[in-house]
Amino acid sequence: MKVLLVEDEKMLAYEVNAFLKKAFYICDLAHTGKKALEMLDINVYDFILLDLGLPDIDGLALLTQAKKLNPDAAYIILTARGNIEDRIKGLDLGADDYLAKPFSLPELQSRMQAIGRRKFNIRNESIALGDFAIDLQNRTVQHGTSLIELTRKQFDLLSYMLLHKNRVLTRTQLSEHIWGSYSDDDCDSNYIDVHIKNIRKKLNAYASVCWLETIRGVGYKISKQL
Amino acid sequence: MKLFTKLTLFITLSKLALVLIFLLSLPFLVERIASEFTNNYLRQQQQKVMEVIGKNGVGFYLQDEESYGSYTLLKEEYIALELTSDRLEIDTIENTERIVESDTLNYRVLIHTFTDQGNRYLLEIGKTTSTISQYNRPLQRIASVVLIALIIITLVADLVFTRFLLKPLGRIISSKLLNRKFPFRDNIPPVQTTTSDFKYLDHSLITLMDQIHDTFEKEREFTANASHELMTPISILQHKIENLIDDAALNPEFQHRMTEMQRTLNRLKKIVRSLLLISRIENDQFIRTESWSVRKLVEAVMDEIGHRMEEHQISLKLQLGDETVLHHINRDLIFQLLYNLINNAIKYNKENGIIRVSEVKKVNHPYQLCIEDTGIGISEEDLPLIFNRFRKATDTGKSGYGLGLSIVKSIADYHHIALSVKSKLGEKSRFTLTFSNETVKC
Repeated sequence: MKVLLVEDEKMLAYEVNAFLKKAFYICDLAHTGKKALEMLDINVYDFILLDLGLPDIDGLALLTQAKKLNPDAAYIILTARGNIEDRIKGLDLGADDYLAKPFSLPELQSRMQAIGRRKFNIRNESIALGDFAIDLQNRTVQHGTSLIELTRKQFDLLSYMLLHKNRVLTRTQLSEHIWGSYSDDDCDSNYIDVHIKNIRKKLNAYASVCWLETIRGVGYKISKQL
Repeated sequence: MKLFTKLTLFITLSKLALVLIFLLSLPFLVERIASEFTNNYLRQQQQKVMEVIGKNGVGFYLQDEESYGSYTLLKEEYIALELTSDRLEIDTIENTERIVESDTLNYRVLIHTFTDQGNRYLLEIGKTTSTISQYNRPLQRIASVVLIALIIITLVADLVFTRFLLKPLGRIISSKLLNRKFPFRDNIPPVQTTTSDFKYLDHSLITLMDQIHDTFEKEREFTANASHELMTPISILQHKIENLIDDAALNPEFQHRMTEMQRTLNRLKKIVRSLLLISRIENDQFIRTESWSVRKLVEAVMDEIGHRMEEHQISLKLQLGDETVLHHINRDLIFQLLYNLINNAIKYNKENGIIRVSEVKKVNHPYQLCIEDTGIGISEEDLPLIFNRFRKATDTGKSGYGLGLSIVKSIADYHHIALSVKSKLGEKSRFTLTFSNETVKC
């Protein structure tokens, strides 16, 4: 997957780039709107991550132009201005998603995956996890032929960790994914523990869940051999 | 009272007073005029008599007799001339009685003495007072009718003109003040008027509202810029920490400390977000056009945090009808408001506690929503402070940055919801939301 990151804050762009590379994306950087348009003219991208607060071109104007050059790409707006109007305008102009800065990097990746599934019509077969089969489309967890009931939040947690398998996710990252901007302070990280405990309890009744690891003092990780 | 009503009252009353004064003084005036007129008439008659005497001598009238008298058929006027021995000079006009042919009549009499060829003569010219005042009544009547007609005509003219004159003021009030909503985004053209005072008023109002609008826009821009300036460094830090935690080369101790850093940064992020949210609410940046059922909203909140109640064995008593709908609201904000209140009710509750969400819905009574918990309560001295920013109840011992309730307050104010709290320390707290009629019709 090819990504163009349009971001004038170089340090920020560097970190996002490093993260996406690790997740096997090929990432190009543009620090100005002009540069972005040049690159869009030569290359074809799957994802365009667009910061609205660029120094040279208004972000929404750039979005309109970029869509002409690269109509099939998925557009995600990243902005720190947090204007509600910007969000509505951006989505009206055809952006696929909108992330308010500061966002969490795993969250960005999960949004990209979700859009990818929708936009490029990728239908993954159910994913094997230990002795379980997880179907992301139908949101089900199966062991053999028996269906295991998970609550909505529990399934969200499990699929989020599965998406970021072999990567430690902190309680902060997990609670931000589950509760978004409503997540509040330290309290939520305890509820993450409760959710994990309940997931383990439900799945353990069928088979071992040793792939769901607790990393002491940090968070949780799904270890899975590819 | 409206200006037009006041003016109408004043004009009508002042004209009525005028009519009254005139009607009261009319008899007196008419009498004065009649009497002046009679005096003049008598003097003219005197002059004519004196002219005849001057031309023809007294003998023309006296014909060698001592006196001469002449009166009209109905004794309305008479002239008398006689020799007198009185040496006094008399020249008066007075009302007096005279006996003419055995009839005693009231006359206005001119008495004049003069000397002719060495003899003193006394001339009297009289006119009955009844003839003098015979025109008084019709005169008075005509004057009254004309006056009242004139008054009515001017009154109508005054009112029509006043109404016309004040019309621009009404338009200024309705277009510039009554029908406008903060922050006065729409540009309304100046009201057409030739009255300079109104022009000035209209112009001042337009300028004032433009200023308010400008300040408001600046504030909005400031919020957006502040958001950008604050969120960008937080973003960089957050991403750096995230990438570092993931770095497999790190040792566990290092990773643990990075996680703590992330938590602290997250705290900072939440505070900045909350402050910006409050600022955006106060800056009117949210639309209020949605309608949502109260029950659905509460259930949506429960869907998010219901598991927390189970965790603490807290039971929920939902005493809500299905049909109450909130209008003119921002769904996300009201959700946040309920979320914060219910989240607090869980956070500050006791194990096996109860949360009661109930409503008061009566005819002619504003709709009320109550969120009650059986928690640690709020002490009396803390009660007035809980909605202040960064003010944390002193002895809760739980985390919280004192912004949750500030947000609740801002959202409530933004939706014209009155917010009240009752609490008993160590027993319960009860938050009551009283909605305006515009939001919920009972």
